[in-house]
Amino acid sequence: MRVGIPKGLLYCKYHPFFKTFFGELGADIVTSGDTNKNIMDMGVKSCVDEACLPIKIYHGHVCSIIDKCDYLVIPRIMSVRRHEYICPKFCGLPEMINHSIQGLPEITFEPLYMQNDSQIYKWCLSAGSVVTGRKSKIKEAFELALKAQKRHSTGINIPGENLTVMLAGHPYIIYDGFLNMGIVKKLRSRKIGIITEEFASKSILESQINKLTKRPFWTFQRNLYGAAAAFYHQQIINGIIYLSSFACGIDSVIVELIRFRVGEFPLLVLKLDEHTGEAGVDTRIEAFIDMLERRSFHENHHTPYGKRLYSSENPV
Amino acid sequence: MKITIPHMGNVYIAAKILFDSLGIDYVIPPPNNKEALMLGSKYSPEEICLPFKLMIGNYIAGIEKGADTVLLVSSCGPCRFGEYAGLQAKILRQLGYNIEFIVIDPVKSTGFREFFNRIGKVGAESKKNNISRLNSIFTAYTAMSLMDEIEMMAHELAGYEKNKGECRRLLSSCKKDVFSSNDPANALRILRSYRNKLKHLSTDSKRNPLKVAIMGEIYTVIDPFPNLHIEDLLMKAGVSTYRKLTPSWWVRDTLLKPLGLNSRHLLEASNEFLPHYIGGHARECIGEAVLASRNKLDGAIQIFPMGCMPEIVSKSILPAISRKKNLPVLSLVVDEMTGEAGYMTRIEAFLDLLERRRENVRVGN
Ligand code: SF4
Ligand code: SF4
Repeated sequence: MRVGIPKGLLYCKYHPFFKTFFGELGADIVTSGDTNKNIMDMGVKSCVDEACLPIKIYHGHVCSIIDKCDYLVIPRIMSVRRHEYICPKFCGLPEMINHSIQGLPEITFEPLYMQNDSQIYKWCLSAGSVVTGRKSKIKEAFELALKAQKRHSTGINIPGENLTVMLAGHPYIIYDGFLNMGIVKKLRSRKIGIITEEFASKSILESQINKLTKRPFWTFQRNLYGAAAAFYHQQIINGIIYLSSFACGIDSVIVELIRFRVGEFPLLVLKLDEHTGEAGVDTRIEAFIDMLERRSFHENHHTPYGKRLYSSENPV
Repeated sequence: MKITIPHMGNVYIAAKILFDSLGIDYVIPPPNNKEALMLGSKYSPEEICLPFKLMIGNYIAGIEKGADTVLLVSSCGPCRFGEYAGLQAKILRQLGYNIEFIVIDPVKSTGFREFFNRIGKVGAESKKNNISRLNSIFTAYTAMSLMDEIEMMAHELAGYEKNKGECRRLLSSCKKDVFSSNDPANALRILRSYRNKLKHLSTDSKRNPLKVAIMGEIYTVIDPFPNLHIEDLLMKAGVSTYRKLTPSWWVRDTLLKPLGLNSRHLLEASNEFLPHYIGGHARECIGEAVLASRNKLDGAIQIFPMGCMPEIVSKSILPAISRKKNLPVLSLVVDEMTGEAGYMTRIEAFLDLLERRRENVRVGN
């Protein structure tokens, strides 16, 4: 049996788990290719207009492998942490796919709660039963898959020459070079250091989160707000670049919380959709970096009277 | 303490009755209007949902009339509504307003003690004893249910009325009369008398009006401003409309949810297309579409604010329901830019389509 796993959304975080699990069950794994123009176009065509770009691109990944597999894994990830959610669109993902794309093979519908192993196992029992009838085999594959997942980690932490920015955003935007128009390369070519949420100190992140009036609703909010606040608090970054998508309701809240937390500190929010032109993005990144450079220059060069030169420049 | 509340349809009527009967000082901001939208959009994050922006506009209007406390009912589901209060408080404080927020969260997320603590803050202002406070809550809830019932009747009967425009007239004078009364007992009497008038409205039972379900995101279907008064418009056109989401439905749903007894009917209907809770009221929307076809309505109109995550999921499912259940569906996305002209044209075109479908059935096509 050929099991298809689309390379979109949280694939970048959890692919070792899914690949190992179905591979160990004896299935042939079919994944879609890296995101490209063709995949994006297919996604835009099949998905509802109002959706965000990552969801549209996910639709495109599904379209690209639809006739190469007999069973499609569309994880309905409800939650990865107790009392926290991912996003309403994740919760309704199998239905969105099922009703927007014609000619699908069988797909997974079972909700996947990832707060603990026994809940993940429950999903495996349901999703795996299509491939094999043997429960013992599922159990074995599940355990190997967990192990493979534990060995996997994501995150970028590259020191820069004198400036470092936090690259913030959902993992499927940060780690999809097509979607984010190669931002990592762009920053590196200007020798800017990059750090992502994964490298925030857990204890500082936690203490920043606890200062919020309400505990976070979404895991993305905990991770991104918490890490931004932690880096800011520790003064290890010179600015934040937040990669977001138009029509992402969750980012609209997170970005605002960060803004309130960091005040005048440099924050660049880049909102992407299928119409975003690369030239415009480049200009904004360049302008932001120039501004950071000027700021750091001012900070390191005091006037003879010991006062800092005041820079009235607005963050982009 | 002077309390103000954000708007959502007729909720202000029940709120007024509650405060009157508790003897608490309050300001009801003017109904949602261009001014509220303008202020709200100016001070809110650009991509936040429309209800958030209108609420900011309401608070500012309330504060300018002397309010120092906002009373807000919140929730903790996988949607942004739960984040509203915190952000809104921050925005108002940044604007220099010194205002307190009392947020009534469901017991589940705050725990009993905090829940009663917050309710107590409101109650402490009242000189009434506990029994009459409970009584006040009950009166307010009764008023809310009556108002919803009156609205529902008017929306349906508009398709059958003999004297054109009577339902609309009754509905609007009902709201005016009840709002101008400061005596809760009298307010209930007024509501009951209007319900009676509607019960005895002279109707033409031979008429067979178009029947349309109104569904979607709860705020934008309940409050007439963001949806450009769609229900009023349809009443004018002699169309009967049906909407399940109302303020009193919301109260019942929220109270019964922990027991798993809420809206069974709607949820059962949604099972075929969306069997899981995803946040907001997406399942209710899907359920309503299915029920609309079961109840042989002519069509359904979905309304939601731009960027509304749960309703985007429903919108992607609705075409399938439309195909399988043979139910025409119109989706209207509203935001601060919604232009009246294009919007009206789409509604009219949809009504034409529904008429034509009937013709076709009649000539056996
Ligand atoms: S979190 Fe935002 S970007 Fe991700 S799927 Fe949800 S709406 Fe889209
Ligand atoms: S349901 Fe829609 S309108 Fe309501 S908070 Fe969520 S995104 Fe906003």
